[in-house]
Amino acid sequence: MRFFSLLIAVAGLLCAAPSGAFAKINVFACTPEWAALSKEIGGDLVDVYTATTAHQDVHHMRAKPSLLAAMRKADLVFCSGASLESGWLPILLQKAGGPNVQQNTIGWLMASDFVQKLEVMEHVDRSMGHIHPEGNPHVHLNPHNIPVIAEVLSERLFLIDMNNADAYEANLSSFKSKWEKAIAEWEERGAALKGRNVVVYHKSWSYLTDWLGMNIVASLEPKPGLPPTTAHLESLLQSLKGKEIDAILIAPFENEDAALWLSERTDIPALHLPYTIGGSDNADTLKDVFDETLSMLTKATP
Amino acid sequence: MTLSPEMLGLLAPAFIAGLIVASTHVPLGQEVLKRGIIFIDLAIAQIAALGAIFAHVIFFADGGILSVLSALFFALCAGGIFAWLEKIAPKHLEALIGSAFVLSACLAILLLANDPHGGQHMQEMLAGQILWVSWQQLVITGLVYAGLLFLWFRFQQHHSKLFYFIFPVAVTLSVQLVGVYLVFASLIIPALGTIKFQDNKRLLSGYLIAALSFTFGLVISTWSDLPSGPVIVCVYPVIALLFFLNKNEMQRENIN
Repeated sequence: MRFFSLLIAVAGLLCAAPSGAFAKINVFACTPEWAALSKEIGGDLVDVYTATTAHQDVHHMRAKPSLLAAMRKADLVFCSGASLESGWLPILLQKAGGPNVQQNTIGWLMASDFVQKLEVMEHVDRSMGHIHPEGNPHVHLNPHNIPVIAEVLSERLFLIDMNNADAYEANLSSFKSKWEKAIAEWEERGAALKGRNVVVYHKSWSYLTDWLGMNIVASLEPKPGLPPTTAHLESLLQSLKGKEIDAILIAPFENEDAALWLSERTDIPALHLPYTIGGSDNADTLKDVFDETLSMLTKATP
Repeated sequence: MTLSPEMLGLLAPAFIAGLIVASTHVPLGQEVLKRGIIFIDLAIAQIAALGAIFAHVIFFADGGILSVLSALFFALCAGGIFAWLEKIAPKHLEALIGSAFVLSACLAILLLANDPHGGQHMQEMLAGQILWVSWQQLVITGLVYAGLLFLWFRFQQHHSKLFYFIFPVAVTLSVQLVGVYLVFASLIIPALGTIKFQDNKRLLSGYLIAALSFTFGLVISTWSDLPSGPVIVCVYPVIALLFFLNKNEMQRENIN
């Protein structure tokens, strides 16, 4: 009799185990910021694969085996969209993506589809350089966009795994209240930045400057996606003379040579902002990214 | 990362791409080595790429039939010119081919100077994206290669003339599949590893070197999660060296 009940208990455990393991949702995040947000909302219920680091330009990707493996088992593909990843994500999706993560399904979440995009183009032609006609895809740098996207994310997690709806709901509301407080604090600290002028390398910073009311007066790239040329840098040097510029902003994946060249000749400091998680030593969470960005910007603009 | 059956399924097209490339490149590589015109591979690959870039800049063709045809046309013209140069300046052929390589590489850079994706195109063409290969690409390349191999082995006495036609076609297609570095490695390294082999065993041993390199390269790339093309290139010389040393050893034993 004892043996029999033991057998039943073991059988019960065996049946329970797979469903318990299945509960983890596999998230394929293109960039560290979306990986971090997935962990905020999904907690222990999600397994997150991050396709790029802060130091990689997500426009370009080398094909490595883990990308294929992660896409194959993904339940949710979470990226920026607006063709930021168009160089590799469609082909990866076609090669390894399951039916539940194809475009326009529950498992396909492009953050920029859900927020107000900047720089949306009516007319685009090839002469304009690397333009995203759908608008600027670097949406995570306006902190007001984050809770909007978090809400969509929790909805998707709920649709994929209804058993844990309460957990996603709870995580979302605690994240949102934490985030609203943080935004208020950042906006207080950033009030002094309003109206300040910066030079950028690429239009990676539009959402940040738009949020803080700063002005981008020039890009180091002559056209989006084209590396800086000598002629363009010379003309920048002339046109920036006499203007009050506080900083040159560079992301970790951008080539700093041109920024340092200009910085040397103009005495405008070149600021290596974190851009995303892992972009600087202290940027371990989404909140750190904004904390660090704000302190660096305010330090540069006395 | 482990090699699950699922992972093997995902890697299968890349492995078959390697075997298809090796099928023409091992015999062609032995011919290249015999003629002493090593640069011809880089030159033809670069000129084919120039053709694709030309189509991209002039006709806005990206991939697709137009860019392949343009690449083929450029490569075949180059093959014709090299065949002619071999006749009039055989002594300086390698130097001329090398110059054609840098010339076409720089023309490509200039054509892409105003293209935001230029640097990426060049990088992809060199290191290749073997993991992205599709079955459709494999079928088309396989069919063309079957024709080339038939010509090559059926008309052995005409190799000197056939070479400048078969080689550009084979290289143009293989660069699209696996990139310039892997094409160069698949041509030259099996040929180098088998120089001591008897004529009748050289071809088979060369194929074996290529097949083993692609196998181990893909396995190591999966374990280490590093880009597959460059990993396979690094495995190639190791396998070839083992074959070479093994042959040396056997010869010494035979003498003793």
